[in-house]
Amino acid sequence: MSKKVIVRSVIPVALIIAAALAFAVFQPIQVLPRIRLSPGYLLVNQDDQTITSEDARGDIVLYTFTYSRCGAECADMYETLREVQSRLGEVDAGDNDIKFITISFDTQRDTPEVLQDYAASLGADTSRWQFATGDPGHLENVIKAGFEVYYQEADDGDFAFAPTFVLVDGWGVIRGEYRYATNASDADKIVHHLDILGEEIRNSHGAASLAYEAAHFFLCYP
Amino acid sequence: MTDTWRRVAYVVAVALLGAVLAWFVVLPRLRPHIFGGAVIQSNQRIPRTELRSADGPVRLTDFEGKVVVLYFGYTYCPDVCPATLSKLADSMEILGSKADGVQVVMVSVDPERDTPELLEEYVTHFYPDFIGLTGDDSAINQIATLCGVVYQKAEGSAASGYTIDHTSTVLLVDKEGYLKLVLPFEGSAEQIASDIAYFLG
Repeated sequence: MSKKVIVRSVIPVALIIAAALAFAVFQPIQVLPRIRLSPGYLLVNQDDQTITSEDARGDIVLYTFTYSRCGAECADMYETLREVQSRLGEVDAGDNDIKFITISFDTQRDTPEVLQDYAASLGADTSRWQFATGDPGHLENVIKAGFEVYYQEADDGDFAFAPTFVLVDGWGVIRGEYRYATNASDADKIVHHLDILGEEIRNSHGAASLAYEAAHFFLCYP
Repeated sequence: MTDTWRRVAYVVAVALLGAVLAWFVVLPRLRPHIFGGAVIQSNQRIPRTELRSADGPVRLTDFEGKVVVLYFGYTYCPDVCPATLSKLADSMEILGSKADGVQVVMVSVDPERDTPELLEEYVTHFYPDFIGLTGDDSAINQIATLCGVVYQKAEGSAASGYTIDHTSTVLLVDKEGYLKLVLPFEGSAEQIASDIAYFLG
């Protein structure tokens, strides 16, 4: 009799634990990890206007890093970027816009005018895809220390660097890093991740947000 | 018959007891803490940049063992900084004796005008244990950038000299020196106090 009662009271507890385990194993909701804070920055864009990390709050931004004289080694990166942009229709990010910012570390040569020509040569729609540069010391802090992307100027003025995409959410937190991204499958991955992030943003209010917090807690990462 | 009734009574009593326990003991513990801002799960260390206080050189890593509440502002700040610092002082009052395990630090984004002495006078006016830090331009730029903070001079009226536009977030750093939470300017003193209490454990 009392044994039965104990057994019966154990069942609900066991069910809760089983549910938690199932959540962790089957990952019904996936989220992107909150990797670290996106750096604060103050840069100048292709229209000679100041852009800051504060302007990007409330938008999802995919950052890339390059210099305008970058040749063949950047072709794949832009191919991936264009592919992502052409497939944005697949992503619903709620009231967040998805933007692209390409930061040049060639502060000597890449003036706003040069960046404007560069944007035009790439066929970039600058209302969505901006190009920017800034003070060399500040850029070191932003790109190397903040975004953790390495670059080094060689004697001939070319730069050695690792093509990298960094995905930042509207709260200013880095949610994805795609290093040595060079082919079309990276576009698939980035679009998929934008979709996951969009779903979390659309569910970031009220009771649904708890399920997404649980997904973070159980490390339900893609 | 009596046996059946006894059984029913027993089940009801157990169910009631279970419900009371669940409501008052289990549920409040199971309910996850709801943060007032964006949580960083991964281990992002607070920068070890050397800064200056009125008592000499300080690094933010010196406060390990305490929960650090980090804010970027300046003493000539007309509205946002006084509002934030008095809100943080309210959070300290709410925390009461637990506030001993907390260090509120304001890092200056105006190293040109903010001397360590001026900063000390300014922040202790809000709460006696607050600390104000400044440093070289490059040190301030580095620590602000890594904390997701941006600042820029804006020309004010001739009387006030200039003002500085800056990110107004409040950052929480846990006892081990990891950046854990970014709170928006709008957060209430109660919310900040409850988030600090969470990291105090």
